[in-house]
Amino acid sequence: MKNQKSVKPPVNPINIEFISEPEKITLSNKVPAYIVDGGNEEITKIDFVFRAGFTSEEIALQSSTTARMLTEGGSENLTANEINHILDYYGITFNVTTDRDLTIISAIFLNKYFNKALELCREIIFNPRFPEDELKTLMNRRLQGFIISREKVSTIATEHFFESIFGKSHPYGLRLSAEDFLRIKPVHLRNFHSRYYTPQEMTLFVSGKTPPETKELLDNYFGSIEHFPSDRKKTPPLPYGEKKRNLFIPKEGAVQSAIRIGSQTIKRSNPDFISLLIVNTILGGYFGSRLMKNLREDKGYTYGIYSYLVSLELAGYLLIATEVGKKYTQKAVKEIIQEIKLLQKEPVKEKELEMVKNYMLSDLVRMFDGPFATAESFRLAWESGIDMSFYKTMAQKIKSITADEIIHIARSYYDTDELYTVIAGPEK
Amino acid sequence: MIDFKKCCLNNGLRVIVHEDNSTPLAAVSLVYMVGARNEDPELTGLAHLFEHLMFRGSESVHDFDDQLQLAGGENNAFTNSDITNYHLTIPAVNIETAFWLESDRMKGLNITEESLANQKMVVLEEYRQSYLNQPYGDASLLLRPLAYKVHPYRWPTIGKEEHIKKVTLRDIKDFFHSYYSPNNCIMAVAGNVKADDIFKLADKWFGKIRMRKVNHVSLPEEPPQNTERKLTVKRKVPANALYKAWHVCGRKEPSFFTLDLLTDILTAGESGRLHKILIRGKKLFSSINSYLTGDLDPGLLIIQGRLMNGVSYEKAEAELNNIIEELKNTTVPDEEMEKVKNRFEAEHIMGQVNILGRVLALSQYEVLGDASLINSEIDMYRNVTAEMVKDAAVKYLDRTNCNTLYYKISGTKKL
Repeated sequence: MKNQKSVKPPVNPINIEFISEPEKITLSNKVPAYIVDGGNEEITKIDFVFRAGFTSEEIALQSSTTARMLTEGGSENLTANEINHILDYYGITFNVTTDRDLTIISAIFLNKYFNKALELCREIIFNPRFPEDELKTLMNRRLQGFIISREKVSTIATEHFFESIFGKSHPYGLRLSAEDFLRIKPVHLRNFHSRYYTPQEMTLFVSGKTPPETKELLDNYFGSIEHFPSDRKKTPPLPYGEKKRNLFIPKEGAVQSAIRIGSQTIKRSNPDFISLLIVNTILGGYFGSRLMKNLREDKGYTYGIYSYLVSLELAGYLLIATEVGKKYTQKAVKEIIQEIKLLQKEPVKEKELEMVKNYMLSDLVRMFDGPFATAESFRLAWESGIDMSFYKTMAQKIKSITADEIIHIARSYYDTDELYTVIAGPEK
Repeated sequence: MIDFKKCCLNNGLRVIVHEDNSTPLAAVSLVYMVGARNEDPELTGLAHLFEHLMFRGSESVHDFDDQLQLAGGENNAFTNSDITNYHLTIPAVNIETAFWLESDRMKGLNITEESLANQKMVVLEEYRQSYLNQPYGDASLLLRPLAYKVHPYRWPTIGKEEHIKKVTLRDIKDFFHSYYSPNNCIMAVAGNVKADDIFKLADKWFGKIRMRKVNHVSLPEEPPQNTERKLTVKRKVPANALYKAWHVCGRKEPSFFTLDLLTDILTAGESGRLHKILIRGKKLFSSINSYLTGDLDPGLLIIQGRLMNGVSYEKAEAELNNIIEELKNTTVPDEEMEKVKNRFEAEHIMGQVNILGRVLALSQYEVLGDASLINSEIDMYRNVTAEMVKDAAVKYLDRTNCNTLYYKISGTKKL
């Protein structure tokens, strides 16, 4: 029998069924809560989102330490050990994340423990104690983690990159030092908590196969959290980059260099954002990207390279990140710049454009696959003050963008003379 | 409860389908029952390098990733000591593309010298990034040969640099013909699909691939360890670290569930005994974790932690040993047993929220012998008693069965 070549099946168009806006309710204390109902499993997730990130801090590490101490320090009625035991006993996953703009506290739990989980969340999040001993233990542990992470070229390069593009004096660009871990005191945490863990700074996102009594229970547990007189710090000024655009940080003994290239850019609310997202994807936003093909699949300089487009409250940024074998460092930087210039010069070929379009459309499908993904996608838009129509616009733009527009966007938003290049690695 | 249907093609390929019409996507997982265990001791890292080459050209497809992305798909793969797993998600309307791509590379590869040379470079950079250029990155590379003396688990999946460099196209071809065959593969599909359609597609795309003789070499059994082993290394790291590994049972044995709960009693969540006593209470460790390697053949139970600055190894190890001795001498209270079981159940359910989680679980449970374990495993954990935990601690956590790695600060780098 002859070995027949297999015939490629046709590629069908990718349709996206968008959900409408999530249901919005308002608790008795005016806290907004968005509910995304769906899914097969009897699970619910609640995100408590506070407008309280690095930009709200009066002292470094204030936001992350306040959040971490919720379970490390104990509450008025429960010790830290009791809190952690109860969380595990009911199988509740409790996570805190803090970033430049927000503190997000998430709880995921089985619906059979819905009441218990809400009750516990209220106790942990709104009645914390910030005892000095436990704080000291936590900060000593975190300090060790900090010092270990400074042994990694990836961490060194990333933090210098943000310091460069956002500026040394701005909270967006803040680079931590060991002293920061020893300076923080319980009073800083109490201040931060009473100022920001309040109804006026809080929004709830609830997703999953939510029980019928969800709204009532949300109001019972979180609708009575009291307002405090608001003395929110003023919004910080816009971040400005440092003058020096090329930085090398030596790391003795490293066998790879970490490369970070990028700059500040537009935010999600800008009409060009979606087009820039498409350009970023072609450049380095997925496995089939030009950077991955060139630096990994063609040259073998790296295990992987990606580029990111991120929108924050005060600014957006573009970042290309990779770790390469030390002898390829300069060649890799050159290739990255070449790929940007190529995007500005030559139109994207039809096959590549079709591939990136289909990839991005199906990625959009993944962003709305199930209640948890949907709630997260909604929250991202909400953070930028826009609604779900953003994603419909995105689908249209992905379908309609042309090779000419891509050249135009690449020329408008990538200025290779203005890009910051930060490298951490061994000296030559 | 995860419903699924299963069939086996004439060529031995097992196909498992789970229907879920609440998603527009489909997920596919293929497990080839080959891993680092099947490697020649002089050519380690071959199974993992081979996984990379599976994306670099097959009989009719030159560019696997491009074709998949063109149909809206996204994929990844991993290799461990026992298996190699390829998985993807794709809009369900384009599921046939996944069958086309996966069947083509099961039929045969078309690898050039250039592709091989390139992927060797990529794997060597992966090795540098994950093991050499990370603080404590080489600890697992040191622990394996300390614990295993004859079994292939003594070498890591990533392999040795000099072995990776000397792999030839001939080695790649031999490896393919020895292990990449329908009768050595399990395929699971989940999502917005119909089981009957999937079985038809499986027959259409994979049905004509011939069964191949799989190279089943019986592996040497690791002899019981009768004396404790210790290794000390010095590295430029900011904190001392401690690693302990005990030989335990294989993944298919009933004791596995008991041992898994035992590690949960020690370090699950933030309420585990080691967190409570050694981190928060006595402030001896900054971080600590315990887990099973979960290998098919007898694997390891590993406890690893970093010591707080100024704490001596003697003190840290003595307090850790006290907690282990307590497991042997006192039964775990009912409430604590209930806690670790509840926690397992919640994690088990949450791990299967999306179809990719379900399809990976289905294919991997089938490797253990039966995909229906996906539904019965919770009961296996529920049936573990405090007495069983105590017995397992006595049986396995013996000093003579233990391997200890002291990963010490060298030079002046101190906190």
